[in-house]
Amino acid sequence: MRFFVSALVSFFALANNVFAKSSTGDSVLVVIDPSLKKEDYSKFFGGLEERGYQLTFRGPRDAHPPIEQYGVPGFSHVILFTPETKSYASDITPQSLVGLLSENTNILVTLSTKQTPLSSLSAEFSLIPPPPGTPLVSHHPARSEPATVIPIPVSESPLLTPGTSPVWFSGVPHAFGNSPYLVPILHATSESFAADSLDDSGADALVDASEKAGEGLWAGSHLGLVTGFQTLKNSRVVFAGGVEMFSDEYASKALPDGTPSGNEKFVKDITAWAFRETLALRIDNTTHHRAGEEVPPETYTTNDQIVYTAHISAYDPETSSWKPHSGITDMQLEFTMLDPHIRIALPPVADEPGKYQVQFRAPDRHGVFKFVVDWRRKGYPLLQTSTTVPVVPPRHDQYPRFLSAAWPYYAGAISTSVGFFLFSALWLAGDVEGKKKKGLKTE
Amino acid sequence: MVPRIALHFTWLLLAVCVHAGSLSLQNPRFTITSSTAAQLRADTLSLTEKPEPLKLEPSDTLKLTFQITEKSEGKGVQPHQTFLRFYDSVSGEEGIQPVRVTPGGKAKFELNMARPPASLPPTTDHPLEVSLILGSFVHEPTTFDLFDLYVPSSYTPAPHPDEAKFHELPLIHHTFRPEQKLPPKFVSAVFAALVLSPWLVLLGLWSKIGVRVPHLFSPRIIPFTVLLGAFEALLCWYWVDLKLGQVLLYGGILAVPTIFAGKTALAATGEWRTGQN
Repeated sequence: MRFFVSALVSFFALANNVFAKSSTGDSVLVVIDPSLKKEDYSKFFGGLEERGYQLTFRGPRDAHPPIEQYGVPGFSHVILFTPETKSYASDITPQSLVGLLSENTNILVTLSTKQTPLSSLSAEFSLIPPPPGTPLVSHHPARSEPATVIPIPVSESPLLTPGTSPVWFSGVPHAFGNSPYLVPILHATSESFAADSLDDSGADALVDASEKAGEGLWAGSHLGLVTGFQTLKNSRVVFAGGVEMFSDEYASKALPDGTPSGNEKFVKDITAWAFRETLALRIDNTTHHRAGEEVPPETYTTNDQIVYTAHISAYDPETSSWKPHSGITDMQLEFTMLDPHIRIALPPVADEPGKYQVQFRAPDRHGVFKFVVDWRRKGYPLLQTSTTVPVVPPRHDQYPRFLSAAWPYYAGAISTSVGFFLFSALWLAGDVEGKKKKGLKTE
Repeated sequence: MVPRIALHFTWLLLAVCVHAGSLSLQNPRFTITSSTAAQLRADTLSLTEKPEPLKLEPSDTLKLTFQITEKSEGKGVQPHQTFLRFYDSVSGEEGIQPVRVTPGGKAKFELNMARPPASLPPTTDHPLEVSLILGSFVHEPTTFDLFDLYVPSSYTPAPHPDEAKFHELPLIHHTFRPEQKLPPKFVSAVFAALVLSPWLVLLGLWSKIGVRVPHLFSPRIIPFTVLLGAFEALLCWYWVDLKLGQVLLYGGILAVPTIFAGKTALAATGEWRTGQN
């Protein structure tokens, strides 16, 4: 009975971990600027807690709780609501944030018109921050809010729920470098631009600025407002151009045409992606063997038929478990020795969820080969695996034998053997004629 | 895109009815001149209908002039935002170019393809849709679709080294050594027959002279003959199936009785030769 009670107690204590929403843990550190009030973001934080995350709040200059200690991250995710903080406690530096990403921690960063260490951090992630003091401004569509508060339509993206209403945004844009690891989530509208003027007389300054800067005007839909970055360690960081987007005020503000804004759904989707709930994939295992066998041999021979299998699963946040996922249609397998000798598609098997299989013929070359799967797509984690196998040339008795061209030689060799046997048998069995000769000699 | 334009026009109509602070475009004109200052095309733009698409060669210049006025009084104004938007609807590339407007509302824009501005987006052979975006802190915002423009194609920027890995890479097929070509079986059969032909000769000659083998089944000879035959069979089996180790083992086992049988057989033949003597 006591065992039962203690088992039940420990089950409930661990239940929080069992029903974790994110595939990498649910402790979240929220570093919030003292000038921002936690209550203004109650819908956002409440939504996170509802989804199963444990939030811990601290200010940027507080020493406790530390973001990481002795190289070990203290939390699975970090939210930095510090758009205007220029100096932090000693544990938060751009280097420590990058170190956290290497240790599989995900980060959500908010930026602002002020130059902070975070805006120079964004430059390290292939984003180009705008000149200081130039928020995003748009006169379109006509609305009662000031020009710096802009409704932005949400375009299609695998990260976001389709049909999300336009979101209210206030903050700074950024331009993209050419890194393919960037995942643009929200683009600025075509009519928006970054400007520091507040009335019509600033028009000349706009034109002058664009002619001077050389990179053109900070305007148009090629500017990003919320952008994600997928690192090689599969951790994710999202740079949002402003913190007001997460606030209760924007979540409840109606759009110019009267419909409710999509802010609540949008920030839920981006945190779901950033904290690796959605679009989280992994390779469970890979196997390889000869066609017709089931166990991998010690070595393969050239020209063998080889079967390679990979099992892939995706994280399902509803059930907090990894489910087999057969949705990848463009995965490729490379059989590599220094350079890929063979590159073929690795398609999903029709009736087995999560299983991807292909059969191919080992090349003529012998050597040490690797099965390499390296699948990278925008917004998805990197799926990489490499298995080394030796491929040896055929043994002396594995070559084709009993060829038709060798018939004369077989005939000759067999004839020789048969002839030898016949001769021995006949000689031993034969008659002896020695008497006559002896007789002649003695005569 | 379409719903947004519709939204703008509904607001425009509403603004006209309710609030008279909206902007309008007066006398929009364009001119295309070549590098030799010869005028290739000049026209007034109608705001209700797009003209024929404009084409610019690598050395042509496009000049655009217009005046922005308040609709109600016709007074020239300088709005905060007067941008030309170049948009390629096929590739999705967009470029925004601000236009300098005098305080009286007069605007002039020049696009010289010999020195294109940095804001011109990367172009292909698809046309760019050119529209004018007007925004102001005091007036209603508007957008006007002006014309379609063909410009020479631009170079693509250098991609990131990892960019290729984010797409499907081309398949690589290994070229295997071609299968060995064997001569026709008939040729092999003929030569095998050639190799076996001396047996025919032997058999023919034997049939003529007759073979006398009186001691063939003698009990002192036959063990050796049989064991010799077993050795030949072992050799044949090695050729077909066995490995060296096995053949040596079986051969070793067979060798022991063969030695004794051989000694017996030779002693027997020796006796017969001397015995008959």
